[in-house]
Amino acid sequence: MNEERGPAPASDVAFLEVQRFLNREAALLDRRDYMAWFDLLTEDINYVVTARVSRPAESGPVDYAIVDEDTDTLRLRVLQIGDPRLTRAENPPTQTRRFVSNLEVEDADPPDDYVAHTNLLVYRQRGTAPDGDFYAGRRRDVLRRDGASLRIADRLVRLDHNVLFDGSLSVIL
Amino acid sequence: MDDIVRSAPNRPWVDAANGTVEREAFVGEDVFRLELDRIFHRLWIFVAHVSEIPGRGDYVVRTMGRVPVIAVRGSDGEVRVLLNSCRHRGTKLCRGEAGNARHFVCPYHGWSYAIDGGLITTSYDEHLPPDMDKADWGLVPAPRVEIYKGLVFAAWDPGVPPLPDYLGDIAWYLDALFWRTPEGMEVLAPPHRWRVRANWKIGALNFIGDSQHVRTTHAGPIALDKVRSERDGFYVQGGDSFQVVTDDGHGCTLTYLAPGMPERNYLTHPPGLRDAYADTLGPDRLAMLHHLRVMVGNVFPNFSFIESQVALGEKAVIVRQWQPLSGTEMEVLSWVLAEREAAAEYKDRALRHGFHNFGAAGVFEQDDLELWASATQASDNPIARRFPYSFHSSLPFDDAPIDNAKGPGRSYKPSNTEVAQFAFMQRWDAAMQG
Repeated sequence: MNEERGPAPASDVAFLEVQRFLNREAALLDRRDYMAWFDLLTEDINYVVTARVSRPAESGPVDYAIVDEDTDTLRLRVLQIGDPRLTRAENPPTQTRRFVSNLEVEDADPPDDYVAHTNLLVYRQRGTAPDGDFYAGRRRDVLRRDGASLRIADRLVRLDHNVLFDGSLSVIL
Repeated sequence: MDDIVRSAPNRPWVDAANGTVEREAFVGEDVFRLELDRIFHRLWIFVAHVSEIPGRGDYVVRTMGRVPVIAVRGSDGEVRVLLNSCRHRGTKLCRGEAGNARHFVCPYHGWSYAIDGGLITTSYDEHLPPDMDKADWGLVPAPRVEIYKGLVFAAWDPGVPPLPDYLGDIAWYLDALFWRTPEGMEVLAPPHRWRVRANWKIGALNFIGDSQHVRTTHAGPIALDKVRSERDGFYVQGGDSFQVVTDDGHGCTLTYLAPGMPERNYLTHPPGLRDAYADTLGPDRLAMLHHLRVMVGNVFPNFSFIESQVALGEKAVIVRQWQPLSGTEMEVLSWVLAEREAAAEYKDRALRHGFHNFGAAGVFEQDDLELWASATQASDNPIARRFPYSFHSSLPFDDAPIDNAKGPGRSYKPSNTEVAQFAFMQRWDAAMQG
């Protein structure tokens, strides 16, 4: 699970399956199809987004969570941003376009489960502002086999941000 | 700064008789520069919580108005607040956000300071004139630093009153959040930090007593919390609710549980600490905490706090700072705290729930921020500035405080008027007149 431990690369077939899965997932989020997206998660999903404290190099950076959800709290979050009557931040909706790249896939335990590492870049534009903003980070997903499909059992998004911009994070990364 | 002060609009922005405030107060760059001089570089400003710098040499880097500072625990255990700028040519000594230092060494030319700020060496001491006294060239300390119940405040005006005097009656309420067990509170994680293109005072007003925005701004989480609470078989219903205004523009809003609501609310505090609360706070404040659903408030100018129970088990103490960057932008810092004595499992839960609701991605926060930014943007033009903001729903209640046996300060009902907000603005205006 640890990026630094050195990956045990999965097969090319697995790589393609994971890539197809993550591309489809990204498209659902950009389309704001949160209910379909939620179906891609396991019931014991753990969804974490971190930011970091800048410290001297000798001490190393410290990550801290800005989002840490289980299935209940994550459902509330997407019910809120997905329903125009329940959100101010996302009505009018912000536009997102996400780029999921630099994929590395490792075999996990049990077999047929995978750990996927990706770089994430999300362009987000709000209202009539001519200039959008970017979220950038490294993502680590644990993908669990569920019949013919995969589901996300664990997601960690490590943002490369210390101070977030323009208000509050109101989209899913 | 004198030139700026002279050229700034020299008039009251607040019309106390008519319940209005000039929009310029919320967007003007001249106003912002005057705020720095009259408020942020003069009065007590929150800097850190003691638990962020527990060990010798531990430091955090913060900003007071526009002044970058290092809050550091010295070798003698004292907390100092030092200007984060080398006395030689101004470089920042600490360019990260936090760390531990044995010395502060300037990366530019090598001036080195002890963690209490004293200058140790310039690296070229042999070139200094004999009458230069290194004792005069230490890092500039904030002349006043005081700690109230774990909260570190500093001021650049040596003449400010002692911090407990400045806090006055609001301290009675702060105690209930920040020192209710023998060990006090601790910060559970580094602060969330985010920028908003909104004036800093909107945040302070929102926390001191803006019950009017809750149903509209937060329609989403409120509707959804009902779903969640019904699932949990636990619905928190608010009852008696009022605003408190104390001297110097501090204030808070308290909402109690509806009569008959079970004391299960209290169980969401760490149960083992119940006796500690009673011993530390005494019967009056224990009774207050016991039935409190929400306490939210602001210490003038930009230190806010909230303890709120959103749903079953979702109770957390949040500290918030509205750090001005300009007339139209601020950086927000937000901490989650819990009792030091609480179990690790409780702390984890409090932290998660705290920032789920109030934080850089908080489900309450996100809707506030978008609306604050739009208010600032729409007001930042000459036409809009001709038309003041309304605080009218303060006026019928300003002179009619209720009798509140529960705590000090002047109390007002109903809580969804704008008395506390208007009191903040009047205090602000008085400070700005110099």
